[in-house]
Amino acid sequence: MSMSSLGPPAPAEDAAHADITSFAAAFEAWLLSRPAGVVGASFPQPTTGARMETMRRLMSDLFAEGWGRWGWPEAFGGLGGTILHRAVMWEGLARHGVGGMAAFEHLEVLGPTLLAMGPPEFCAQAFPGFLDGTETWAQGFSEPDAGSDLAALRTRATLDGDVYRISGRKIWTSWARFARWSLVLARTDTVESRHRGVTAFIVDLRSPGVEIRSIAQANGHDELAEVTFDDVVVPGDRLIGSLNGGWAVAMHILSSERGTFAWFRQCFLLQHLQRMLQWGTPEADGLLGDAVLDLASVGALSIDALRVHEHGATLGPRAAFTKLVLCAAEQGLFNWALASDADVIIDPVDERGLDLRAAYLFSRIVTVYGGSQQMQLDTVAKQILQLPA
Amino acid sequence: MTLVEDPDSLFLRSAQNALRSTDGDEALRALGWRDLLGSLEEDPDARLGVLAYFQAQGRELGSSGALGELMAHPYAGLFGEDRAVTATVGRRSARRGNRAIVVGTPGSNGILIDRPGHGISLVSLDTLELRPIGFSDGLALHEIESDLTDLPISLGEAQAVALRERSVQLGRLAIAYEILGAAETALAGAVQHARDRTQFGQPIGHFQAVRHLLASARVDAAAIEALAHLSAGQYPALPPMRDAILKALAGRNGRRICERSLQVLGAMGFTAEHEHHRSHSRVLVLDALLGTSSSLAHHIAVTLRESAGVVPDLNLSVAALRAN
Repeated sequence: MSMSSLGPPAPAEDAAHADITSFAAAFEAWLLSRPAGVVGASFPQPTTGARMETMRRLMSDLFAEGWGRWGWPEAFGGLGGTILHRAVMWEGLARHGVGGMAAFEHLEVLGPTLLAMGPPEFCAQAFPGFLDGTETWAQGFSEPDAGSDLAALRTRATLDGDVYRISGRKIWTSWARFARWSLVLARTDTVESRHRGVTAFIVDLRSPGVEIRSIAQANGHDELAEVTFDDVVVPGDRLIGSLNGGWAVAMHILSSERGTFAWFRQCFLLQHLQRMLQWGTPEADGLLGDAVLDLASVGALSIDALRVHEHGATLGPRAAFTKLVLCAAEQGLFNWALASDADVIIDPVDERGLDLRAAYLFSRIVTVYGGSQQMQLDTVAKQILQLPA
Repeated sequence: MTLVEDPDSLFLRSAQNALRSTDGDEALRALGWRDLLGSLEEDPDARLGVLAYFQAQGRELGSSGALGELMAHPYAGLFGEDRAVTATVGRRSARRGNRAIVVGTPGSNGILIDRPGHGISLVSLDTLELRPIGFSDGLALHEIESDLTDLPISLGEAQAVALRERSVQLGRLAIAYEILGAAETALAGAVQHARDRTQFGQPIGHFQAVRHLLASARVDAAAIEALAHLSAGQYPALPPMRDAILKALAGRNGRRICERSLQVLGAMGFTAEHEHHRSHSRVLVLDALLGTSSSLAHHIAVTLRESAGVVPDLNLSVAALRAN
């Protein structure tokens, strides 16, 4: 790592990069030197594990060089700056061929909440490992009987002396089998207390009693997992937010997951679009035009989201706008891709085809994860249009 | 801290108030709109004010010559004129090719007629033959019937190209704002109806099918608003094709918002007596000017596809992040 003070500072660590324009120019220059980690992450990977390993290497390089530390507070392994630094970094990586974020999408989904509401000492120790790719995080929200109705969750945490004991089952936990840590929403009051009786814990996934099973997905990948907790011991101070304050933590996370995350995702969708253009056909132009309109909408909405988060606020129910338009853009883009090249489904022949097939199929489920399309529409109807319940 | 609905800007509310008590051209005077127009390029607040007028005009279904004046702005001072100059707004007719439209009540203004490939002509409006067109939305529109092929050219094509691009960008920005305003009014009517209308013993806004129609329409409006504000902030440094993308998005989403609103209103919304058709017609009429949403979306797709390998940069740059 280049954190030592010996020798000239790495260019990435220049304090002038607190200015976003300076940062963007320097990062672009670095990308143009075609660093091995970036080149390595720009090829389709045959397995979920290979995707993850490639991205770990890239994150390690970005951390060592300093680029990956911008946008995060110095107390947590960062170099300062704002979410705009991260927005610029991932936009540049996407533009230079990196295909996606893998588990590091959780940096943007969970990271801001961890640092805002997590125990500072623990986060100061653990967060640098997330930034440098060695120890990633998962997000344990959904359960077999608590999907859209998250407040019905039943995973239970019981205080036992100065520790909590957690038992229960989480499902659809992305990237869990690669993760060291998981945020786990667990019940600390009665089931009837609904969202008021929920607490957010930090659980070490290497603890005895944790079992992680991958879920083979219909697109050939398997980053989703089912995670069971059987009397798993968690130190009593590993809470994010307050006891029974887990709902506020979840809402904070969802503002990132539905709002700012759209920025990071649309960067990669634009790259998909650019790479697929050569296979576009005139017959599919109508679908392409529509997809471009939706992609432009996501860009504009997510820029607003970045600005709001940059100033320490969250979007509230307006995050549903960004999430819904992102879904339309992603599905529209891959509708066009499939219409242009049906071989992708029936005879994908090469790595590109296989990668595109997996991405197309994944786009069919984007209206489900992170809060289903129907729940997002409910949010808009209730909280923004204020229609009668 | 949570940010809920963006409140309307002060200027937008003032413009709506003005349009409720007087006609559009008088409202422009009362608002000092032409002074704002004068500092459009260098002052982002003035630019946002100039464009907010169009959102207000859409919401209140007002009529004025603002669009032609805005589109004439890039040519200001070129012809040594001392009178107000307005521009015609182009549209493509399937039957008759390119048409030049005068938006608002025709006055004695000098009028700029743009003929791509030839140049720009400045002529007196009273020398031209005009035919009223339009559709039930209260916006005064006249098509120039006179044969334009022999008009003297005031500004040659070589000089016209760059200025025309600005003019069209401003026109599309303004129309996007006006479509947004008209669609917002259509949606507000449908939301109110969903609160008031009772069926099966409940306000129909209680039913999820109705809620989702209206919520989808609200999302469509949020998308137009976000891209319009972003573009207004970035003007005149718009990314390639942004004006076409914005205008196509406004037309597509605007029509969708009106269709969903009409569905919620039911048959009453289809009557001449109900106000819905006026906003709906405004959106349809505006979609026909400066490129329809379908023709623009098609143009965008073809341009992108044919440039495969040297794709215009659609990425929103750091500059976009820093705009406003």
